[in-house]
Amino acid sequence: MIAHIANLAIWEWFKLRRRWMMWILLVFALLFAQLAVWGSFFSYQNLRDTGGELTVPATLQQQQGRVPRTVRCNDLLSGDPARQPTDLDAQVTAGLAAQCRAQAVTLPARLARAYGNFTLPGSIPNALGTVQTLGLILMAILTASAIGIDYGAGTLRSVLTQGTGRWPYLTAKLLTLAMLTALGLLVAVASIALSSTIAGSLAGAAPDAAGTAASWSDAGVAIWKAWVSILPYIALTAFVTVLARSSAAGMAIGLGYYFAEQLIVALLTNFFSWFQNVADYLLVRNISGWTGGAGGFPGTVLPDQTHAILVLAVYTLVLGGIAFWLFERRDVQGATGGG
Amino acid sequence: MTTDQKEFVLETDRLTKRYGEVTAVDSLSLRVPRGGVFGFLGPNGSGKTTTMGMLLGLVHPTSGSAEIFGDPARHAATLRLVGAMVETPTFYPYLSGRANLRYFQGIGRRGSPADIDRLLTLVDLGKRADSKFATYSLGMKQRLGIACALLGDPELVFLDEPTNGLDPAGVVEVRELIRELGTGGRTVVLSSHMLAETELVCDNVAVLSRGRLIAQGTIKELLREHDTLRLRSTDDAGATSVLSALPWVEAVAQQDGSLVITAPQERSWEIARALADRQIYVSELVPLHRTLEEFFMEITETDPTTGRVRT
Repeated sequence: MIAHIANLAIWEWFKLRRRWMMWILLVFALLFAQLAVWGSFFSYQNLRDTGGELTVPATLQQQQGRVPRTVRCNDLLSGDPARQPTDLDAQVTAGLAAQCRAQAVTLPARLARAYGNFTLPGSIPNALGTVQTLGLILMAILTASAIGIDYGAGTLRSVLTQGTGRWPYLTAKLLTLAMLTALGLLVAVASIALSSTIAGSLAGAAPDAAGTAASWSDAGVAIWKAWVSILPYIALTAFVTVLARSSAAGMAIGLGYYFAEQLIVALLTNFFSWFQNVADYLLVRNISGWTGGAGGFPGTVLPDQTHAILVLAVYTLVLGGIAFWLFERRDVQGATGGG
Repeated sequence: MTTDQKEFVLETDRLTKRYGEVTAVDSLSLRVPRGGVFGFLGPNGSGKTTTMGMLLGLVHPTSGSAEIFGDPARHAATLRLVGAMVETPTFYPYLSGRANLRYFQGIGRRGSPADIDRLLTLVDLGKRADSKFATYSLGMKQRLGIACALLGDPELVFLDEPTNGLDPAGVVEVRELIRELGTGGRTVVLSSHMLAETELVCDNVAVLSRGRLIAQGTIKELLREHDTLRLRSTDDAGATSVLSALPWVEAVAQQDGSLVITAPQERSWEIARALADRQIYVSELVPLHRTLEEFFMEITETDPTTGRVRT
């Protein structure tokens, strides 16, 4: 049976690699990974060149009605009159300089942290934080498409009459998608590593204050967590696609649920404090809890990692189990394989 | 072809499928003999495709059982010995015809990649084999469906309306192909509404109507069951009375100035002698050959003008 499922998975890959969609989604994932690395690089460059920037609200500027502007701490603290802002009161400038002096104490640590965000190995968990969120959406699209095409094109009928068996076929599909997720993450990591090396050489030597950068084991854990966090989302999309016999429905839920859950949690926890307990068992919150992500809206407390992984395991098993049950039990008739 | 040489390749026992209150297939007990082309006939909605679906593991039967080569029909291992084209052939639109065949060959572990070129040539798709399936005409899709059903040289092949969308030359080609497929121990189960075509290629047929099996046998047997003769004589009224008394004459009817007698054609000499004994002389006594289509229309109570089953 294992050989049979492995054979089906190989042929699932045969189909998937001939679809433009998969490659386009991978390009998106790589672009976001690069955005994270180069964003961190330019952020570091900016911090190093300016010593930090402070935003001056329009109300503190001499000419009222102007848009907020920024001032560089390096300029303010240089003592050079030519580098002082001319459009601000001396009092305001002095206040800003005081702020800059306070921030200068933490500047080496901030520089070291910023440097670690775009150089290996710290760039991996940093960039994967962005890639993982996008990965949920991309894998939802790919899952809905890979399962839904058999309903849309009616090929489920042709496949099952080959004697593939129903559950081995769906198992092979989900296994292939899980492996593609891992492969996609590894390709993203490779591209992060490459661009990190380039960015590191452009940035020069690391700042003095060390000890804040992530280790290689942190990078490995980040890859593992990113992969695991996408699996329940694949299960959710597979369940909806099989239930509705439609890739469009799967994609809609895959795309919409991520944002809808966060919006609902933010709204309802504001109105009802007890909703926080319900929210701790929702999918996206636990994905955020597991990966240590931002958790959507500020001010919310995420579930701890043990709680999160248990909840995610239950989601994966229940949603996947129902998808299998429906797939096994339903009749396949008509042009779209519906019943 | 590795399976045991049983007499019947396919047997169903009171196979039933209900959708709520609607019975799509009603206690169907069917036997398909090994070898040759078996016609599976019935008007639209008679339960042909649902039956095929149950045999191929697509539809769960409500009750009853089905066996292919003596094993439960739904088993994946059994289905790997069967080729099938059910309804309009469906393939992945973004793959070429050749890639689709490679895929289905791969998932079913049917034959070797070298078979694909042979099958594409067999169904005359060689030149368009590398075009995407989405660009195929209906006829080309049908041809690819037939090629897919033949992957791995299966011993039992289900073909559902294989000539749909084909031009007249294509119909003849496919007819010849089906006839050829039915030789050498292979069995082809052909579902078609093209009764003239079916009559030309099938050895045995089963007729379904409203989910029930209403006739099964060789075409010769089925048509002979209701042999008819046309008689012209010197005294039609007298002839009607004489013939109606014969136990083996099923019916005598007046039609277009002659008598139409339902009786075995090989006993026509006895009809002539019985009438001559009563001084009624026969001027014309000819067998009326019914086509499968006429037989089908009659037993399925299909209106020949509308093609719909009378309610």
